[in-house]
Amino acid sequence: MKRKLEISDGNDYLKYLTKEKDIADQIINHSRSMITIINREYIYEKVNSTFCNAHQVVLDTILGKSMGDVWGHDTFQNIIKRNVDICFSGKTVQYEATFYTPQSGKRHFEVVFRPLSIEPGKITHLLAETFDIDDLKTSKQAVIEKEEELRKFESNLPIGFLRCDPTGKILHANQAFLMIADCHDDMLVNSMNLKSFYLEEELFDLQIEQLTESHTKNFGRVSLKNCSGKEVPCRISGFLALNGSGAPAYIDFAVEDCSRELMLENRLLQAQKLETIGSLAGGIAHDFNNILATISGYSEMLQEDLPKNSDLSDKVSKILGAVKKAQSITNQILTFSRHVEQEKVLINVSEVLKETIGFVKSSIPSNIVLKSRIPKMSANVLADPTQLFRVFLNLMTNAIQAMEEEGGTLSVNIAVVEKEFVQHELNKDIVADEYVLLTFKDTGEGMEPSLIGRIFEPFFTTREVGKGTGLGLSVIHGIITEMEGEILVSSKKQEGSVFLVYLPVSKSYSIINEKKNSSRKKILFITGNKYESRILSLALESAGYELVFISDGRNFVKVMTNVRERPDMVIYMIDSKQITPEDLVGIFRSQKILTPCILITDPTQEISDEKLLNSGIISQQLTKPVSLKEIRNAIQELLR
Amino acid sequence: MPGVLIVEDDKELREMLKMSLIRRNFTVIEAENGKDAITHFKPFITDLVVTDLIMPEEDGLKVVIKLRELKPSIKIIAISGGGKVGPGSYLNLAKALGADAIYSKPFSINELIAKIEQLLDNEQHN
Repeated sequence: MKRKLEISDGNDYLKYLTKEKDIADQIINHSRSMITIINREYIYEKVNSTFCNAHQVVLDTILGKSMGDVWGHDTFQNIIKRNVDICFSGKTVQYEATFYTPQSGKRHFEVVFRPLSIEPGKITHLLAETFDIDDLKTSKQAVIEKEEELRKFESNLPIGFLRCDPTGKILHANQAFLMIADCHDDMLVNSMNLKSFYLEEELFDLQIEQLTESHTKNFGRVSLKNCSGKEVPCRISGFLALNGSGAPAYIDFAVEDCSRELMLENRLLQAQKLETIGSLAGGIAHDFNNILATISGYSEMLQEDLPKNSDLSDKVSKILGAVKKAQSITNQILTFSRHVEQEKVLINVSEVLKETIGFVKSSIPSNIVLKSRIPKMSANVLADPTQLFRVFLNLMTNAIQAMEEEGGTLSVNIAVVEKEFVQHELNKDIVADEYVLLTFKDTGEGMEPSLIGRIFEPFFTTREVGKGTGLGLSVIHGIITEMEGEILVSSKKQEGSVFLVYLPVSKSYSIINEKKNSSRKKILFITGNKYESRILSLALESAGYELVFISDGRNFVKVMTNVRERPDMVIYMIDSKQITPEDLVGIFRSQKILTPCILITDPTQEISDEKLLNSGIISQQLTKPVSLKEIRNAIQELLR
Repeated sequence: MPGVLIVEDDKELREMLKMSLIRRNFTVIEAENGKDAITHFKPFITDLVVTDLIMPEEDGLKVVIKLRELKPSIKIIAISGGGKVGPGSYLNLAKALGADAIYSKPFSINELIAKIEQLLDNEQHN
């Protein structure tokens, strides 16, 4: 409403003007901005109280002063004058400046100069307004920093993050999602719909519907296919945001790659399955051993009752032979199910591997190349070396069989790896600071993905019936698990397979090793197969025995006839070609030697050991494969 | 004739052991589990015991400990075919607890009888 002006004389008018001026002054003085009026000589003609307070000066000392006096000559010449002059040319000038005021210290200000025309048609003055924008500036900066931080956080997030429009069109994707999508062009991703990454596109529509209802939803595992066509299992959850009028504005998706998790779950399932099969099989093996004991017992009695070398007696021998074979299978099952305790010594893995490679090389087909790099290393593990030999031999034999037809390359490597590296690979607790990693890689026929998970199950075999029992890998699995190690496999059809064996490095010193220097017993080893016997010797040496190897007859006679050289025990492997069972019996009888003798027979070889067994010189008989425990028990028993 | 106690829960195996020992003129006493063996133990006629280790009721380890206590001079042979822990460790435990000999199943009956005769022979000589 317009105020009605009632003026009757000049006094009234003066009163009125004074009142109006008071109001204007009060408004100006109460403003939070510093307000001044400056004339063309850069002199302050008007200054409000905010200005005076900020500079902590009284009004009179400012009025009539020039800007140069107040701000200092340099600041005036370099910054202020330029802007003031522009303003006098008729333009409003606006700029930011930082300066010190006695009232609040150094702060950030916005300065605005506006041209004023006190006389018509001429710019005579300028109005300067200075606002304190320090708080605003600080909070703006904070927002920028926060935004930057968020951006970094989002792009470093290991989980894929997407913002989509309500139809699923991608508006923004972070680095992790680009990785999952296997697409490194974010422009491309940003033009796609998330739906096109779904293996089942209808599922996406369903999820959008669910989001419209509940706004936040965890969809669990969903299969995506990435830009290179690979299927990636992901865990997806969505959040639908609404705009001011309650309509869907955008949808945020969190997409987590769970392939590794899925793989670990599968492995765990496999391990549990093996454990179950193991305990089942172990129980069955126990019952079978009872049955086998009954069969072999009656057969032995029967054989006694029958005339020697008769047809019937031969048949009973066949039964006993079959019992031995069955026993070897139950033993393997017990090893797989870890129902057989392993005798362990501290052993250098690379030495056992070297011996095994030597053994394999002697019989490798010509179309297969064996590449191995076995550096000298001092990594020891706690193991039964004969079992370790079995593991390595079996893995190499399998690899060779996989390449038999087409030929190829078998690469064997050994390395020591830190636990930090291993813990991402293994499914079980880390028990050592370092692990020995053995790699057996072939370029053979490979396996179907569906078979890989099953290869450690007992009696699972891809070979023809009659070729292998399907126990080899189960036994290996049992041995390695017993050592707190792990065996992993990856394979591609037509490309080949890789077996990785992780064994924990043992830093402990074998107690047995310390016995070395006290009363070492001397054992004479007669064998034709130098690699396999060297493994046994590694085992026995670390168990504290002194081993002497003999492969030719003349040396044997020399050693046995010299009382001082004579060993405490003889171990005879029936594969020796230089020293036949007859030679052995001959020397023992002629020299009247009473040294205990252990015979190791090989059930796969048809060499008759009957003569030897009936000669009375054999104190104990063991059947291959002989474990360290068996042979040590036998030796301890006989040397007692 | 020396008396041999057979402690074995598997009936067929027990029968086989019994027959093979009778053939060699041993007096045979049978028990189908550890509890029976201990409660019905007859120290005066039992010189040697062949015991399985994993059995229902009392297991073979208990038999080894208890019979050794009841008759310190008794000879003990433990036999086992493996179970939850495996034959090796049970047998070694039996040995540590005082078994004179151990065999894992299946074993050669002739070897077992030779061992029984040897243990009882030594007994007579002492």
